[in-house]
Amino acid sequence: MAQTRSGSNLIWNILSYAVLILLAVLSIGPLLWMLLTSFKVEDDIVTRTMVYLPTRFTLENYIKLWNQSGYPVLVINSLVTTTLTVAICLFTGTIASYAFSRFNFPGRTPLMLGYLVVRMFPAVLMIIPLFIVMRNLGLFDTSLGLAVAYTSFLLPLFVWMLKGFFDAAPTELESAARIDGSTRIGAMFRIVIPIARNGLVATCVFVAIAAWNEYLFALMLTSSTGSRTWPVGLQLMVGEFQLPWGMLAAGGIISIIPVIVLFALVQRVMVAGITAGAVKG
Amino acid sequence: MATLSIKGVRKSFGAVEVLNNIDIEVEDGGFLVLLGPSGCGKSTLLAIIAGLEPSSGGDILIGDKNVNDVHPKDRNIAMVFQSYALYPTMPVRRNIGFGLEMRKVDAKEREAAVQRAAELLQIEHLLDRKPGQLSGGQRQRVAMGRAIVRNPDLFLFDEPLSNLDAKLRVEMRTEIKRLHDRLGTTTVYVTHDQVEALTLGTKVAVMKGGVIQQLADPETIYDRPANMFVAGFIGSPTMNFLTGMLEHGDGGLVLRHAAGSLALVGLEQDVAAFVGREVVAGIRPETLNAGQGAAGLQGIVDVVEPTGPDTMVIVSVGGQLLTARLGPKVRPKPGDTLNLSVDTAAINLFDPVTGNRI
Amino acid sequence: MSRGRAMAALPPPRSTWDAINPLRLLGELSETRYWMYLLLLPSALLITAIVLFPTVYGFQLSFTEMRLNRPAGNGAFVGLKHYQRMLADPIFWLSLRNTAVWVTFSILIEFVVGLVAALALNRNLWGGKVLAVLILVPYFLPNVVAGNMWALMLDSRVGVINDILVNIGLLQEYKAWFADPNTAMATAIFVEAWHSFPFFTLLIMAGLKGIPTDLYKAADIDGAGAFAQLRLITLPMLRTIIAAAVILRVIGLVNSPDLLLILTQGGPGRSTQVLSLYAFQNAYSDFNFGYAGALSVVMFVLLMLFAWAYIRLSKVNQD
Repeated sequence: MAQTRSGSNLIWNILSYAVLILLAVLSIGPLLWMLLTSFKVEDDIVTRTMVYLPTRFTLENYIKLWNQSGYPVLVINSLVTTTLTVAICLFTGTIASYAFSRFNFPGRTPLMLGYLVVRMFPAVLMIIPLFIVMRNLGLFDTSLGLAVAYTSFLLPLFVWMLKGFFDAAPTELESAARIDGSTRIGAMFRIVIPIARNGLVATCVFVAIAAWNEYLFALMLTSSTGSRTWPVGLQLMVGEFQLPWGMLAAGGIISIIPVIVLFALVQRVMVAGITAGAVKG
Repeated sequence: MATLSIKGVRKSFGAVEVLNNIDIEVEDGGFLVLLGPSGCGKSTLLAIIAGLEPSSGGDILIGDKNVNDVHPKDRNIAMVFQSYALYPTMPVRRNIGFGLEMRKVDAKEREAAVQRAAELLQIEHLLDRKPGQLSGGQRQRVAMGRAIVRNPDLFLFDEPLSNLDAKLRVEMRTEIKRLHDRLGTTTVYVTHDQVEALTLGTKVAVMKGGVIQQLADPETIYDRPANMFVAGFIGSPTMNFLTGMLEHGDGGLVLRHAAGSLALVGLEQDVAAFVGREVVAGIRPETLNAGQGAAGLQGIVDVVEPTGPDTMVIVSVGGQLLTARLGPKVRPKPGDTLNLSVDTAAINLFDPVTGNRI
Repeated sequence: MSRGRAMAALPPPRSTWDAINPLRLLGELSETRYWMYLLLLPSALLITAIVLFPTVYGFQLSFTEMRLNRPAGNGAFVGLKHYQRMLADPIFWLSLRNTAVWVTFSILIEFVVGLVAALALNRNLWGGKVLAVLILVPYFLPNVVAGNMWALMLDSRVGVINDILVNIGLLQEYKAWFADPNTAMATAIFVEAWHSFPFFTLLIMAGLKGIPTDLYKAADIDGAGAFAQLRLITLPMLRTIIAAAVILRVIGLVNSPDLLLILTQGGPGRSTQVLSLYAFQNAYSDFNFGYAGALSVVMFVLLMLFAWAYIRLSKVNQD
């Protein structure tokens, strides 16, 4: 009995490894291929017979991307937009999330559901009016305008995700702090936010990655190199250059490095936050 | 130090009445225990005393001062929470001194006060640790240190022992009693544990459904419960209830039940109005003894539970189950017929309709 | 003595500066009954300005003429004109059908793969943590990179996938996956599923952690096999979390045309044209904001109906 049990366990373990390794290869393989491609010379990419490993290692694609395509400006624009997005979410979202987590007040549940439902609004439905509004306010084709547009779907996400982290800090801590002589706002900044620190960082990173990656709003709401972000710029290269595979690969690699680094740094806390937010929602 | 007056305090969440007209006076240096099952409103009342929640009506006075509109931080109270609520990001030293820090007490004075509190609670060696590195009992001590360091007017305890294991709970209970004897600070203590209530309190308020069922000293609560709820809630094993008719017998009043009648000798209550009606007799297990006495019951043994110092014997008296706390050597067998003598002076009679003591 | 000290530390304003000290005032404000509403105010205002207002405006646009490239007559109320046109528009109906295919099959694949991955990861194998991180990576990649990466690998002349499939004999010659109307949608669904299955893995893993292991021990003792345990314990216990994941993914798939915009732009022909993409192209390429607005409104209403029906159904099943 015990033997068949451990025997079937072994089979399931082997099967699990097989599945996981296959999926891991499928997940990472394309990235590795892009990395390889970015180091290949043009002749190794466009050939009659497939060249797997580069015959000649080159940084040509990166140099060309950096010098000829205005990529540095795109990256800087993206950085500015991302920073602004995170800043707006941080200032308005943290306190909102705190209020939802801490207080029971009339209208709390419908308001919270409201923050959830706005995520269901089709991007396209909002993009068109936003385009007109931004143009009238002079925010069209600016990093600030784009960042504000991003908060339309990232702020609710931020509030919900962070609420999970705030919920994890017992309310008794604030009661204790208030009896010890803090005001409510004092308790929030001295006690609760320090406890939820990791969650706050992870939530910010999540929002930052989403803003950094965003394509559709950026395509619609920017028109010049003054505010265009890298995803739009990279996609434009597809039409601009003849078979730009090497450069595209180099651009892709450069742009996802911050994503991968940030993800790696906070992945555990972030994963917890995403799931908590989604489960409760 | 100060007195505490709770005058007509009410609290409702929408249509739900959580507290209904609560009136309690606690003398200076008194120890009030709010006792009741979960959901009875005891913790809400404590939160209102602390100022953490607004009341829907009534007044709270600490000393002579009405504190209805005073912030928790300005009420000069200290509180120990069920989860201890130690600030996880701060070492023990700063946890204990946080209240003084917030009140801008200078560092030197603060350090001395923390040291004094730590010595009193024997936690000097823990001062530089973080709460996460402490055991449950140590956290409990730190939480108390945080409360006593400020010499507050009022101590509030919210089920402080319920997260501890049985042995530590007894130990810390003694510790709290010792501290109160020593500091003499007026205290309000919330618990659902009747043993804690009886051992610690100078005054116990038994609550249910937002209403005080009885407010009295522990002895009265135990011996003369105001109603069947209090009678059943206090004491372990719980009080036995024997239903029967109250009648005039040969030598006085008797309780006629399904398996005979019980002479009510030395009854303290005036029950004339209930003669000829059904009543419930509340009989504490320890007032039942093996053998025949002036007043007695006869029943069939159902279950025998030896606990060490006592043997709990559950007997069926005409179909009603009663528990008797008998000596360790008494070991009847299930099915045996058992005679029990009753200390009828300790009996309380209740009105079965209202549940109140007659 | 101690009492005097504690009280003295919290006096009313001690000086003129103290009376106007913003930090002190903020502290006072935080003790009032309206504090939580103040905390919510900034975000609520922002959401009203950038979500609610544009949405209402979008609804309004769908009843007006708004063509940025033809300024004449802009803003004129045209009633249900756009909706009438939509009913007669074969591309709309085709997009609707394609959207259904796109959403259904993407979610099906994502769910199955996500579930299998989560179950395998939940066995807590040695090295499982590393594999989990690797498997989650695609979810965090930008659409633009994911799309172009696969476009490169599936390219009809230089695509490595083609080379591998030809070498192992599954394919006679290189295939233009996105140029063939018969394979374009399936290929796009594959890329989308590759990109998003980790979302299901993430949520299902969290759900699995919440199932008490005692249930499996009891099932073991009762003699239930692995598949019986999956069917009778795991899936029922995961129902809420799966429902939540499906709703979120349906919203995502219906709403965002990003990946198809990058991979196919709806082509070849109209074989990968979905509603969100059609609406976006009407706005972005044709500047026909009125019609695009009407299309988005229909999308929104359909989504709401779906979410409502789905939540009701999963609730009914629960009871």
